[in-house]
Amino acid sequence: MRGNFDALADIIDRHYCFFADKNIDWAEITSQYRSQITEETTIFDLFFLCSQMLDELKDGHVNLSSKFSVSYYRNWWSDYPQDFDLRTLEEYYLDFNWMSASGIIYKQLPGEIAYIYYPSFATIISETTLDYILALMANSRGLIIDIRDNGGGALTNINTLVGRFIEKKTTGAYLMHKTGPGHDDFSEPYPIEYEPSYGHIGWRGDIVVLTNRSCFSAANTFVAVMKDLPNVKIVGAKTGGGGGMPFTSELPIGWGIRFSACPILDSGKNNIEYGIDPSPGCEVHSPAEELAEGKDAILDFAIDLLKDNPLPFPPADPDTNPDDGNPEAGQGNPPFVIID
Amino acid sequence: MRAKVFIPKVIIALILMIFSSISPVKAQDSITTSRPVTGLYSLELGGISVNASYLTPLTYKGTQPAISGLWAKAMPFNPESAIMVFDVKADFCNLLNPAKSARMVGLTGRFSWHLEWRKRLQKNFQVTAGGGAGIFGGAYYLLRNSNNPVEALANVSIMASGSISKHFTIGRLPVLVADRIKLPLVSAFFCPEYGETYYEIYLGNHKGLAHAGWWGNNFRLDNLLSITLDFGRTAMLLGYRLDIYTQWANNLNTKIISNSFVIGVIPGGIGLKKHSKANYAWY
Repeated sequence: MRGNFDALADIIDRHYCFFADKNIDWAEITSQYRSQITEETTIFDLFFLCSQMLDELKDGHVNLSSKFSVSYYRNWWSDYPQDFDLRTLEEYYLDFNWMSASGIIYKQLPGEIAYIYYPSFATIISETTLDYILALMANSRGLIIDIRDNGGGALTNINTLVGRFIEKKTTGAYLMHKTGPGHDDFSEPYPIEYEPSYGHIGWRGDIVVLTNRSCFSAANTFVAVMKDLPNVKIVGAKTGGGGGMPFTSELPIGWGIRFSACPILDSGKNNIEYGIDPSPGCEVHSPAEELAEGKDAILDFAIDLLKDNPLPFPPADPDTNPDDGNPEAGQGNPPFVIID
Repeated sequence: MRAKVFIPKVIIALILMIFSSISPVKAQDSITTSRPVTGLYSLELGGISVNASYLTPLTYKGTQPAISGLWAKAMPFNPESAIMVFDVKADFCNLLNPAKSARMVGLTGRFSWHLEWRKRLQKNFQVTAGGGAGIFGGAYYLLRNSNNPVEALANVSIMASGSISKHFTIGRLPVLVADRIKLPLVSAFFCPEYGETYYEIYLGNHKGLAHAGWWGNNFRLDNLLSITLDFGRTAMLLGYRLDIYTQWANNLNTKIISNSFVIGVIPGGIGLKKHSKANYAWY
């Protein structure tokens, strides 16, 4: 039992990347938990003891995986309000009538607001599908990208999305890695650059990204990148963090161990492990009781931000033109562009 | 009673006949140096252990089937002593961790070219020695891993190579026993930094990936011990291969050891039969 415990302690000691940022004395923690192992300790006892020890890292990217259970530090989101209810969204805002493709739910909401819900970065986004989505909702006053409850996935999906919203190559974040087993052995930050999606449809209008505490990992990085763009506002609650790309290793007993190994920094080289704040003045919460009554305060706030923007292509019939009398109607830059 | 005495005498006589027939081939004196391409085509099967600390601290073990080929030809400027050898091998392996809770698969390939000189120490005993260059590459994929799922290997090396062989006959069948070794001396090899993701490499961070190698950080050995039965128009090789690959860089350790049984055919034989034009010199 002690051999497996020591193997776990050693793996984390050599590879975990946030000891200094979180001011964690790993030697002290392992010493404290190791003393609890006795001759009577079973594998189940060991698993739960190790899980408790790993919880000291306060990291949602840390999991101990056995055949009978997977440990998971849940407090990074369970200690906070959810600020989102999928049923409320589907029933009261999408009217159970939406389109979906590539894991994206989308619909033009009343008032000509383009709305995208992307629940997981683990789903690969098709460039062609994204072309259709943006083209079908091109005549909108703004775009809402809702990533609430998005627990992350592949970083490469960030490129697919962000490429539609930028006009030139942009450094959106930085990535570091450990260069040795020491707690301070890190490489210099390496820029993660995003390029416009040449040959595809891009969006140049206003964008609002909706967040809650359950936005984690790749979703957290996406928010960090989007927050830098001038036409983007982050609305909702602070994200859940998860700013370390995880590695996997294993113990002699066969259990897997996943842990944060490579810190991701925002464009200002700040740690994003603790989450991303909403844009100034845009922290909004959707209380559970309001959600139960069909009101999503975060989504309502985003709609309010965009509802007065001019329509890029106003209807020809002035009787049906809601922008009738608005001198800015149709005179703004159209959001729908082919990136070249 | 007489039969009981007769049978052991017959057995002893047979054993003596067999041993007395194991002697240097008389045809040895008449071997002529020709320059056909002699090819060996082999199947290999054996066990392999992989310890790749980038992926896991545990040693994985499994089986490794492989195909290999070797082509040799005497050089025109000195056909009696100089030989050129091409050597290729591709293998696949399927491995499990000690607890058998995770699987690793690997695919590697190698190619090398050698120029060797041979020296006949006796009529039926020779050594070859020389050097060459080789490339080796592949990947080991650990299915359970997240952002460190693969250990990629890429290696270019300058190597010493050589062989020692002795031939004799069993009955009327020419047999060659040989041991062939390849030993890289210096190399250049790929290794990611300690905790670097392939995603970061993909982004363009190529710093610290290439390393100069020598025996201290990139020891390799490929040894094939074989016995070849020359039937004249064809020959069959049975052998045992020990293959060791190690590398140490960026605080990452990789150690791959395989032991394989080898069975191969050599179309045209190896030249120990009079009517064969092939040349056994490449041993």
